[in-house]
Amino acid sequence: MTAVLEFVNVSRSYKRGVPVLDGVSFSVGQGEVVGLVGRNGAGKTTLINVAIGALHPERGSVRLFGLSPTAEPVAVKKRVGYVSEDQILPLFGTIGDIIVLHRQLFPMWDESMERDLLQRFDLPLRSRIASLSKGQARQVALLCAVCHRPELLILDEPAGGLDPAARREFLEASIRLLNREGTAILFSSHNMTDVERIANRVVVLNGARLQLDRPLDHIRDNICVAIIPRESAPDPGVIERTSGCLHVREVFNDWHAVVEGAPEAVSERLTFALGRNGIRCMSVPLEELFIELLGGDR
Amino acid sequence: MQIVVNPSAELSIYRQIMRQIIEAIACENLKLEEKLPSHRDLSEQLVIAPLTVKKAYDELESLGYIETQRGRGTFVCSKLPKINRSVHSGQIEQSARNLLSLAYLGGVEFSDVVKILRDVDQELMGKTQHTREKA
Repeated sequence: MTAVLEFVNVSRSYKRGVPVLDGVSFSVGQGEVVGLVGRNGAGKTTLINVAIGALHPERGSVRLFGLSPTAEPVAVKKRVGYVSEDQILPLFGTIGDIIVLHRQLFPMWDESMERDLLQRFDLPLRSRIASLSKGQARQVALLCAVCHRPELLILDEPAGGLDPAARREFLEASIRLLNREGTAILFSSHNMTDVERIANRVVVLNGARLQLDRPLDHIRDNICVAIIPRESAPDPGVIERTSGCLHVREVFNDWHAVVEGAPEAVSERLTFALGRNGIRCMSVPLEELFIELLGGDR
Repeated sequence: MQIVVNPSAELSIYRQIMRQIIEAIACENLKLEEKLPSHRDLSEQLVIAPLTVKKAYDELESLGYIETQRGRGTFVCSKLPKINRSVHSGQIEQSARNLLSLAYLGGVEFSDVVKILRDVDQELMGKTQHTREKA
């Protein structure tokens, strides 16, 4: 797969010595949907700002279609669509005014897609931007981000603050675009159900670093949570050193370990490593995995 | 054929799709050689990534349930794969054990379990009862 977007060893800090991104590398291929997840402050938005050229990386590089977004901003912007949670639409004028503006900016503007989305979202052209609901404003932002038929769509918490129906409509529109145009999508989200629905790959950022980058199917089939009674492992280091172990945390009187492998295999491996029975291993939905991987001790 | 997916369920989405298609074939809601929806249509209908649908179809194809005909689409195979009986009956036995422990824990008696099985059979095979009797 050719990379549409590629981060190589990207580092960035706002305060000297406090990295917000620390050596992050991954890429997004054509037609892929990559979900970017992590706790608040893990660096998701900073990474996205690096991708769209709003921030320079201090070290490392970012390439979109092989181009640098800061060196060749116009060439890159023509081929990218971007929507963020706190996107600010110009507050003057109507929906129609904004669309006319975009039509003039982008020679590739697709008027049939514009009509299609206006109708689907039920957006009245004459409505003033200032009077739109949060959901409608996001829909206008999406319309403006996709009607120039981008090859890459970057969404920063696109569904944040939307009601479930508006969220689903937003996902539907993104999927349709993906199917029609083969657009690759990178989206950050705190909604794990949405990530499970549309992502085929998940990238987890944790404390400025990339912690996990795996196909979603692999995560669901081949990463499991093991619950180990505390007394079976006085020293969690033994669990941490077991092959495939990604994270161990303490939850009440147990250790919870996130381990790569199918539940049966992991259970066998841990039973062997600890020389104890009574270990339960199970596959868990992404939301639980997120908490096990990124949550603190309890 | 109606497929429903639940992203936060224990099974991953592509496995949910696989299971439902196999079920539909088993109770003849999907007939032999019947055409399946395209990746694109199913992904839009379910609002999931098209690659997820592709993954489910690829797995079903490698198991021998469906086949892709270039330029025409994806179809249920005209002959279904022979299931390995011994593996299968092992799974059935395990499921039976789970079923009975659940029933006995809840104070449901064996005869009532049989009745439930019969009802479920009716529900699954209701539409195909007629053809089964003829055969």
